[in-house]
Amino acid sequence: MDNIAAAKLNNDEIFDLMKQFITEVIGEEFVEEMDITMESSFTKDLEMDSIEIVSFSEKIKAHFGDQIDFTGWLSNMDLDQLINLDLGTIVNYIEECQ
Amino acid sequence: MSKFLFVVPPFFGHVSPTLSIGASLIARGHNVKWFGITPLADKHIPAGGEYIYSETDLLEHQEELQKILKRQDDGPACSGPEVMKLALEETYIPIARIMMNSLGKVVDDWKPNVIVNDCITFAGALCAHIKGIPCVTTTPVPPDVMGNSAESTPKIFEWQQNLVKGLQQEFGVYGDEIVIHSNKMNIVFTSQEFAGITDPMPHMKFVGPVKGRPNNAAFDWERLKIVTTPKVFVSLGTLLVDIRKEFFQKLIDAFAGTELTIIAATNPDIFEQWPDNFIVNGFVPQAELMPEMDVVICHGGFNTVNDTFMNGLPMLITPIAYDHFHTAKLIENAGCGIKIRYKRLRTVDMRNAVFELLANPKYKSAAQNVQETFIKAGGNDRAVQLLEEFSNRAQMVASFD
Repeated sequence: MDNIAAAKLNNDEIFDLMKQFITEVIGEEFVEEMDITMESSFTKDLEMDSIEIVSFSEKIKAHFGDQIDFTGWLSNMDLDQLINLDLGTIVNYIEECQ
Repeated sequence: MSKFLFVVPPFFGHVSPTLSIGASLIARGHNVKWFGITPLADKHIPAGGEYIYSETDLLEHQEELQKILKRQDDGPACSGPEVMKLALEETYIPIARIMMNSLGKVVDDWKPNVIVNDCITFAGALCAHIKGIPCVTTTPVPPDVMGNSAESTPKIFEWQQNLVKGLQQEFGVYGDEIVIHSNKMNIVFTSQEFAGITDPMPHMKFVGPVKGRPNNAAFDWERLKIVTTPKVFVSLGTLLVDIRKEFFQKLIDAFAGTELTIIAATNPDIFEQWPDNFIVNGFVPQAELMPEMDVVICHGGFNTVNDTFMNGLPMLITPIAYDHFHTAKLIENAGCGIKIRYKRLRTVDMRNAVFELLANPKYKSAAQNVQETFIKAGGNDRAVQLLEEFSNRAQMVASFD
């Protein structure tokens, strides 16, 4: 039981991890100009393009393995869901999947 | 001889290759007209051709049309999914609606043998379908094969299909068939190799770049002749107006006073003064200039991309919006250039990239490989041959009806 509890990240930890992935993907100097919060939208605020989102997905896969199908989750969204996708939604999704 | 009617959108990048093929068709003795919904200056129309624009028919749509055109300036600030909505919902579909009535009259009146619709100008193929006229589609951009398919992104695919079917139904075309593009022949102005398509549908015909549209832009050739430093051509195309100043400011920051000469195609008015090593013209004879250049910087507009690789030059591509990202990926795949996304463009990276393209022969060599595939694709001759065969076959079929 302790093992599982230790492996499972809480929302704050997931947020920090996502922030780290975003920084790795788009570069520290661009992130410095942004205020990344749970409300930051991926496409609008972080201005991530499809290639950056793919790199971000790969980092999630590398970290969490098969327990999270992030790409599959994204590809089932419609345009409005993609436009409005914010970091909080992703953090909650990962939290639930763990 | 046949009558060809090109149906084109109010975006010059899409009109440009049709003017080139149209000129070749006219040279072969065919009758060629264009139909559009914004005026086009006479100097662009090949001699012997006619551009039809009916101001009276469009009067009631004028306000909406101006709104659509203005809306295009928002493109660079939009995210990928927002651009998709902007393009389909707010541009292609309403433009098709605006065109249908006026286009229908032109078609009834002139009775073309073949309607050639540009890929984002849905009204051409829709009208051809309704009136039973054979139709060919022209596609200036490398088709995005991996894009939004029923398998990869089902909801986006469904959204596209519903919008298109909705448009078709408005004009009495029911059923599941999509008729806004020709399913008989689609002429694509790139090579299959560059587009990265291994198994195209049989009606997709890759003819490579086409040339020959009228372009009498003046240029100070004498000034270019005395240039001794490497020459870098820079173009932002015709569409992106709002970010022009910002883009060229970055360019000045990166290259003012360097051992390079920048030949920029943009209105010089955006700055009071340009650095000494910049040659700036609002309109340039791009096809004639390109062979003199060493490197090209552009955002990924397809006509500049075609001119660049038709001359085997390496490119720094700074994708901004629309299909630029897909084109940038193809350039990276081919190894003939370097991509820096516009939103992440730092002047130091821009400068380093251009000097890397000049110093490292692998980019030029890869660009020459693309050039070979472009030439092999056949260009104007192949496009004309395909259109003539298509028209002859269609007329023969009609004679047995």
